[in-house]
Amino acid sequence: MFEVPDDLRYMESHEWTSTDDVARIGITDFAQDELGDVVFVELPDEGSELTKGDEFGVVESIKAVSDLYAPISGTVVGVNEALFDQPELVNDDPYAEGWMLEVEPADDGEFDELLTAEEYREQTE
Amino acid sequence: MTRERGSPYAPHAEGETAAMLDAVGVDDEEALFDIPEGVRFDGEFGIEPRSEQALRRELTALLGRNDDLTEFMGRGHYDHYVPSIVDNLSQRAEFLTSYTQYQPEITQGFLQALFEYQSMLVELTGLPVANCSMYDSATALAEAARLADRVRQASGTRVFVPEFLRSGKRGVLDNYLAGTEMTVETYPMDDGNVDVEALAELVDDETAMVYAENPTVRGSIEERLAEIGELASENDALFCLGTDLVALALLEEPASVGADVVVGEAGVLGLPNAYGMGLGLFATREEYLRQVPGRLVGVSEDAADRRAYTLTLQTREQHIRRERATSNICTNQAWVALRAAIHLAWLGPSELVDLAEDCVRDAAALAERLDALVGLKAPVHDRHHFREFVVRCDQPAAAIAGDLETEGYAVHVVGEHLLQVCITDANAHKADELVAAFEGVL
Repeated sequence: MFEVPDDLRYMESHEWTSTDDVARIGITDFAQDELGDVVFVELPDEGSELTKGDEFGVVESIKAVSDLYAPISGTVVGVNEALFDQPELVNDDPYAEGWMLEVEPADDGEFDELLTAEEYREQTE
Repeated sequence: MTRERGSPYAPHAEGETAAMLDAVGVDDEEALFDIPEGVRFDGEFGIEPRSEQALRRELTALLGRNDDLTEFMGRGHYDHYVPSIVDNLSQRAEFLTSYTQYQPEITQGFLQALFEYQSMLVELTGLPVANCSMYDSATALAEAARLADRVRQASGTRVFVPEFLRSGKRGVLDNYLAGTEMTVETYPMDDGNVDVEALAELVDDETAMVYAENPTVRGSIEERLAEIGELASENDALFCLGTDLVALALLEEPASVGADVVVGEAGVLGLPNAYGMGLGLFATREEYLRQVPGRLVGVSEDAADRRAYTLTLQTREQHIRRERATSNICTNQAWVALRAAIHLAWLGPSELVDLAEDCVRDAAALAERLDALVGLKAPVHDRHHFREFVVRCDQPAAAIAGDLETEGYAVHVVGEHLLQVCITDANAHKADELVAAFEGVL
C-alpha cells in the first residue's frame, strides 16, 4: 500500500497539495514508485504564476519524463532547491523532504475541487 | 535470369507471388498499398533482372567512367590518411551492426568506445560535455542554434553567422530554424577573418547566438576569438565555435576563449574523404547538459560493482519525450565516431599535433610556391592558414580550374578570380606536380 496522508488533497495526475495559507505541492508516493529513480526535477522560478491544471514543471526518471500539473492556481513563493542536487528526495520522502513548490493560493475554493485522500486511494488501488 | 525462378535477392517467382495474392484475395500487389496519387511514381523503373556477375561487370564499367583526379579541395571535407587499423578494428563483427547501441548488457565494448570518443572531445575542446556524435557539422551547428534558443535567460532570436560560410551549412541552419522565431543574419569578414568591430555593432541583447569558425572556411586562423566570446557573453548570447579534430590539436582551446558550444567535423579523422559522409562533433558546458541534442554515453557501476557503460539522459530523446525532446534528429553516427576514436587513439597526442603542424607548414609552403608564379597571388588573406588558402589569379578562376582538371587536379573556384587550394598529408606528395600543372596552365 502506498502512503496517502489524510490531510492533503490530490490530483488525478498524482500531485498533492497541502491546504495551508502557503500550500506545499509535490508528487505522491504512488507516483514516485511508478516513475522509479528520479534523476532530475525542473521547477518554475519563485514569483511564477500557476494556473490550476497547467504544466508547471517536469520530473525525469531513468526511463520516463512526466509533466507536473498545478493542483491549484497561485503564486510560487518557494522552490525546494534541494531537489536540484538530490532529486532522489522525491523517491525517499515524497510528502516531506521531497516537496517541490510553495504556493500562495489565488482561490481557496480550488482545494475543494481536488480529490480527498479517500478518493485518491480508490483511484490508485 | 527470370522471375520464373527467382533469385537470392528477389526470391519470389511470379507463380509464388500470384499464389500469395490469391490467398489474401487481391488482384495485384498494388492493391496492398495505399499510396496517394500525388506522390505516386507512375512509370516503369526499367530495371532488368541480371546476375550478380553481370551486374558487377556493368558497375565496374560505369565506375571506370569517373575522372581520376588528385584533389586539392577542402572547405569542410578534408582528406587525411586513414591508417589500416581503423578499417581492421571498426569492421570487426561486434561493431558492424545496423542496430543502435542501446542495450548496455550486450554492447559494453561499443559503448566504451563511444565514451572514449566523448572523452577525447572533452580533452580537445576543454568543455566538459560532448555527445556521442551528430550527423555532420551542419546539423551540429543547427542544433547549437536550437540549444541557444532553449537555454538563454534573456529573450533573443538573432543568430549571427559569418559572411563566408559554406552554403550547405547555411541551408541546414535555415531549415532547422524555419518555423521558429529565430532569424539567421550574417556579419562581415575582414581579410578572411571576423570583422570584430562590425560584429560588435550588430550584436545586441536580441542576439541568441554568435557563430564563428576557426579555421575559417577560407583556411585562415582566427586570432580574436576571445574578443568574440566576450562580445557574445556581454550580450547574453551563446558563443558557438566551429572547428575540427585536427585543428583542435593546435589552436587555442575553445573553452579558454569563452566558447559555450563547439561544433564541427569530427570525420576529418577515421573517414575517407568521399561520399559526403560526415560526423558532427558537439561539445558544451555542463550547465547545458540537459539541453544537449543526441545521445550521451555515461559510465557507472553495475550490481556487482563492475565498471559499466550506458546511454544516459535518454529521457531527452524523442523516443521517450516526443514533442519535448531536445532534438528530433534520429541519426547517430556511432560507427563513424568509433572510427574517429580509433584514429585519434592511434595517433595519440604527439602525432596529432605533428599532423596539425603539417597542416600549417604545408599550406604556407604551397602558398609561397604558387605566389611565386606569374599571374597568381597566394595566400589572398594575409593570415596564418590551416590546410587551405585562397589564391587570386589574373585569369578567370573557372578557366584555370578547368585546365587543371584536364591535367588531373581538382581545386575549388570561390570567386571570379579566386581559387581555393587545400593540402593535407594525403595529397602533399603531389604538391610538386600541382605547382607544375599551375605553371603549365597559366
